[in-house]
Amino acid sequence: MPGRAAAERIRKAIALVNSVADGAGDEEITPTEIAEAIRDCLELNEVDLVANVRRYLGEALDAVSDGMPADFVAMTLYAALGALREGRPTD
Amino acid sequence: MSSAEGRGRTLDEAVDAALIELKESRRNVDIKVISETAEETVVEVTVIDHGATVATSPAPANGKAEVARGMVEGLLKHMGVRAQVTVRPGSDPITLDISGRDLGALIGWRGETLRALQSVTNVMVGRHLAEGERIIVDVERYRQRREHTVREIAMRAARQVKMTGDAITLDAMQPFERRAIHLALEGDPDVTSGSIGEEPERRVVVGPRKPAAG
Repeated sequence: MPGRAAAERIRKAIALVNSVADGAGDEEITPTEIAEAIRDCLELNEVDLVANVRRYLGEALDAVSDGMPADFVAMTLYAALGALREGRPTD
Repeated sequence: MSSAEGRGRTLDEAVDAALIELKESRRNVDIKVISETAEETVVEVTVIDHGATVATSPAPANGKAEVARGMVEGLLKHMGVRAQVTVRPGSDPITLDISGRDLGALIGWRGETLRALQSVTNVMVGRHLAEGERIIVDVERYRQRREHTVREIAMRAARQVKMTGDAITLDAMQPFERRAIHLALEGDPDVTSGSIGEEPERRVVVGPRKPAAG
């Protein structure tokens, strides 16, 4: 399935952010780790094949840099995942 | 609201015993685990008044809950989802229960959609919340049921660890599920729980508690 690798990486980034938000109490996730996970997504060429995916990932990365709440970062990453699922090609 | 106490070897058995007494289905009740041992689980099952919304439930004093409920209700309306949103009475943190017919799509694969809905809700309501305060969203008690299930898994694992002395690694779980397990086992003098691996494959390890040195 096209976009599968990107979806997996986005899910990993979401899991890290949710871990911060939900606080399982058994790990310490830093913003740097989250930013790295998002950059891993951006490295894939397939994020350019579907409209808006790179844009949402970029916004999520900015949100991490700006210290926005974890839920905001998660929401933006879910938007990227949703766009990927929708699969509308870039113009 | 009527309630009943249920006892059984497992959580399910205890809940079923109370449900039979109440003549209710799982969908309409709130389940509270009173005690859980290797031999017996005791639960308190309370019938939920689905007609009670924020306006009539004990939550009217909580303006934040009202705001959150209204926003989620509006969001669902925009999504074309027919569902009822209520504030879970006495919940801390504020928990919104979404109920209705055929809401599986709102839960999604391994609760992914539900988790996304919770993120959106917290972003929408964020400015009404205090620092660190969060809203929990549950659909058809999915989250609550998952917590009960993983707690039962934890108890089973603990029993096995006590018998064999070997550590057990559980399946990968979400943070709230791992948290439920850590809380369930924290009072056990014989076993301890920790986590290994990276998200989203992070797993709880239940092992024997080592005696303090010295």
